[in-house]
Amino acid sequence: MLQVENTLFTVVMLTYFAAMILYFAFIAVKRDGLARVALILQSAGFVLHTAALICRGIGAGRLPMTNQYEFATAFAWGLCLVSLIFVVRFRFPVLGAFAAPVIFLIIGYAAMQSREVKALMPALRSNWLGFHVSTAIIAYGAFGVSFVLSVIFLLRDRMKAQGFLDQHIPNKEKLDLISYRSVSLGLLFLTFTILTGAIWAERAWGSYWSWDPKETWSLVTWIIYAMYLHLRIRRGWNGRAAAIFAAVGFVCVMFTYIGVNVLLPGVHSYA
Amino acid sequence: MKKIWKFLSSMRFAIILLAVLALACSAASLITQGQSYEWYARQYSERTAALIVALHLDDAFHSAWFLLINAFLCVNLLFCNLLRLPQLIARTKAEADPARALETEGAAQAGPVRDPGRVFRRLRMPNPVSTATADGREALFSSAHRAGLWGAWVCHLGILLLILGFGLGQMTQKQYTVYGVPGQTRPIGDTGYLLTIDDFEVGLRPDDTVEQYTAAITVRDVDGRGSQSATVSVNNPASLYGMKFYQNSTGWAARINVQKDGAPLQDEVVCAGEYLIVKDKPDLVVFFSAFYPDYVLTPGVGPSTATGALKNPAYLYQVYYREQLLGMNVLMPEEELTIDEYTVTFTDPQNYTLIQIKADHFTWLALIGGLLTMLGLILAFYVQPARVWAVKNDVGWTIHGTCRKGGALFRDRLIEAAREEGADASS
Repeated sequence: MLQVENTLFTVVMLTYFAAMILYFAFIAVKRDGLARVALILQSAGFVLHTAALICRGIGAGRLPMTNQYEFATAFAWGLCLVSLIFVVRFRFPVLGAFAAPVIFLIIGYAAMQSREVKALMPALRSNWLGFHVSTAIIAYGAFGVSFVLSVIFLLRDRMKAQGFLDQHIPNKEKLDLISYRSVSLGLLFLTFTILTGAIWAERAWGSYWSWDPKETWSLVTWIIYAMYLHLRIRRGWNGRAAAIFAAVGFVCVMFTYIGVNVLLPGVHSYA
Repeated sequence: MKKIWKFLSSMRFAIILLAVLALACSAASLITQGQSYEWYARQYSERTAALIVALHLDDAFHSAWFLLINAFLCVNLLFCNLLRLPQLIARTKAEADPARALETEGAAQAGPVRDPGRVFRRLRMPNPVSTATADGREALFSSAHRAGLWGAWVCHLGILLLILGFGLGQMTQKQYTVYGVPGQTRPIGDTGYLLTIDDFEVGLRPDDTVEQYTAAITVRDVDGRGSQSATVSVNNPASLYGMKFYQNSTGWAARINVQKDGAPLQDEVVCAGEYLIVKDKPDLVVFFSAFYPDYVLTPGVGPSTATGALKNPAYLYQVYYREQLLGMNVLMPEEELTIDEYTVTFTDPQNYTLIQIKADHFTWLALIGGLLTMLGLILAFYVQPARVWAVKNDVGWTIHGTCRKGGALFRDRLIEAAREEGADASS
């Protein structure tokens, strides 16, 4: 099964790469048909990616969410899922074009990690692991989409009016609202992640909050996005400033994910 | 006074507090916590170390300034919620009032349509009620998802309870640890209870990695009036006498036998990391430094264990006399250590278990806080209060609507629903 997963993973990477190229071509050549093919390819990649994760789970005999490789590939899967939902829900293929390189980068990062399947330490043998990590994947995916939307917003803000892009990128008001929706989704799932993690930690270590670096940085990320929501109301930060703030929030997400593991080891050092 | 009250409950103050909290948490996470001044001086510089200690950055999460930030956050959340409660009740009532809706300016508008009921259904609004405009025209009104107005309020309440639950728990909770091998009974701190380790098992996989640690324990009060037993393993704590028992960690213990001139003197189970004081010569101490279940000696590295399985046991000891180190070495099971008339042997290696005991009476409050925070966020983000009304005119019905969190997306939905209804009607 792990061999099948290996092969599928390579196919998934190639599919995402092809989808990315087609998305770029869609913007460069300005042909809607290319975006449709790219979306189909990305969707196919997503299905294969799901199959790869299932194979990994069967091969490892547990949920594939317990080391850097598994979380990175699941993160790319979550980002792909959320971006597909937003592309279809808001009829917004340009979002797919901007999300594709981020997905490819993350899955590329996964490819650089060790794929060795190791036995789980007793603390990780918990049903809460599934809830905790899968909600984190959706949260990170949603924050990734909000980051991509922020980049699109900032580019649109600088671009002169162009017929093609005007047709394919929603106006700034809608763009900002869509970004708000993705931040909302991310914050909700991040809260769920923190809550399920706390319940699990209480059962495993007898303490639901111990200021472990990962916990602390998840809280910092939560606070950053909570500030984003408050500033939108308080100061009417629903344009450029909000986009910049959401982008900063994603930098925080990435630090929580990679930076903490590398620089600040704690009880999450396996993740 | 009014100004202070207003500031303490303001969103501006909340944003400042959140920013300070984020900065404090990130700074504290970057500085290793709980080290000495000397450690920080070695790591950074004397000056930085002095600053870290002076600002309590060495134990930031328990410092007075960190508690103060959280206390202010609680005050802000409490005042904000108290202040908003009457406004929210009024707004919830107003949201269901057709007369108010019909007076609303700047609402999204679409139509005309022939059958407004179908537009209401397309927008998933409840059945509309009949009403009339100020100038007597027939109108229909529907309001939905008013609970969404309460999202932020419930979320704030949840965070408040979460912080209070955590803070009260930290202040009042009691924690103890008891360790030992099966058969041993030890007191649980000052609780008046004794803990007996009935059994302890380390479940190994075929590759010698640990699958689970399981301990069977019995707790009884010192007066012997009653007892309760349970099995605890990692991720499966047990509750006995209002305390929670966790299988925390494990290590190795061994039986140390001391003979004097060939006659038995002492026989005790000692955990690695513990001392054995020789009974009739207290100045003589044997320190059980470490245990290697699968001993290997690698040149340049020293003694270590190849696996976690008990295949080739060896004991690392140190002997002290009047606190002076006499010697240290690795002892194999069949070997004896001789110090003058004393002979020491290590036998019967076994795992000891460390049980963590905790009594936190406010965990439930933090859990309710967490669940309310979740509920609040769901209400705030996914339950969008909407009002839709239709006004009859000469050519049909004009559809109007507002959605507090929907903005342009709701406007689009309303226009699309009206257009689809128009298209259906014409076909």
